[in-house]
Amino acid sequence: MLDRRAALRVVIGFLVALAFWFLFSGPYERVVAPAAEFLLRMGESPGVTRLEAPGREFLLNRTDFPPGAPHPGLPSADLHFNFVLLGALFALAPRPWRGDRVARFLLGALCLYLVHVVFLVFEVESLYATRFGDWSLAHYGKAARNFWAAGFHFYQIAGRFAAPFAIWWFLGRPDPAQAASGQRGRGYRKKKN
Amino acid sequence: MRRKILPSNGSAGTRRRSLGFLGRFVALLIVFYFVVASKPVNDYVIVPFTAGVAAVSGQLLRMIGEPVSVAGTEIRSGTFGVNIENGCNGVETALLLAAAVLAFPAGWRQRLLGFFLGFFAVEIVNLVRVVSLVWIGRHRPALFDSSHTVIWQSAVVLFGVLLFLFWASRQTRRPAPSPEEKDGR
Repeated sequence: MLDRRAALRVVIGFLVALAFWFLFSGPYERVVAPAAEFLLRMGESPGVTRLEAPGREFLLNRTDFPPGAPHPGLPSADLHFNFVLLGALFALAPRPWRGDRVARFLLGALCLYLVHVVFLVFEVESLYATRFGDWSLAHYGKAARNFWAAGFHFYQIAGRFAAPFAIWWFLGRPDPAQAASGQRGRGYRKKKN
Repeated sequence: MRRKILPSNGSAGTRRRSLGFLGRFVALLIVFYFVVASKPVNDYVIVPFTAGVAAVSGQLLRMIGEPVSVAGTEIRSGTFGVNIENGCNGVETALLLAAAVLAFPAGWRQRLLGFFLGFFAVEIVNLVRVVSLVWIGRHRPALFDSSHTVIWQSAVVLFGVLLFLFWASRQTRRPAPSPEEKDGR
């Protein structure tokens, strides 16, 4: 599984995913923000949270903020740069451009999108629960504060790296038997030549 | 005999084993996270360890001619300074590696050896990362943010994952011990 070709594929996959991430992270954030906003509003009555994605950050707005109050900005790259890791891992398999492997990668990217949406919700709730002084204390109990803050901290420390690995392990890890037969196949062809 | 974790696109049994590995991996990761995030471990293990990373990085930077000063977990070079925190000390990759190695079906000796050698290798790569980031911050500040957040973090974690896969492939390739070997003869 980890031969010289696999290492080369990982490096190429890493660079391609990096370029893709740099090019499309702005539009991607505009797809993540509304989904997280929808989930946040499900827990609010009336729904007041508004998430905007002007680029490089998610701007948090609430319709009940006083006029002229600053809108907190949440750094966006920290949330979703792990896409690069997912791309590199999916490139590990031989012939990663094969139709079934591309389909598995797209499914993996969709799973990672859901992870990003959920943890953006955690990030916003963690901000509400811990950074708004008396308002936070009035609206969030101790258990809720710990739940949201620890959930987001877990993502920052371990979850954002574990998520692409877990998704790849389940969806994209090459079959050692298939890889071996593929290598044997290449070997026979070389002998014929 | 050692069990094999086979691919996710295999039979129901292999899929179950694969899911079992993932379940153990996630559970161990959560346990390790709570250990590392607890205040005593953070204050008495993680912060001194991070200060050690900063001190060694400072020495390496001086060896390549960068005038730096180190105070605790902070490295300063001219007007540029960085504070090394969780996420920059290699601990997050070590957590991932530890959870994966312990969740994988292998002997305890192999697991401990895999983890400690992997941890050592990850920390060496992390030192290269810290040194290069301080250099970039001082000489190419426009590139610092993307190098810090996206490129180096992904690269160090990817290195940790590849180490795990290399270790795991050696475990699954190892032949089952013969009855004589089992008996220690």
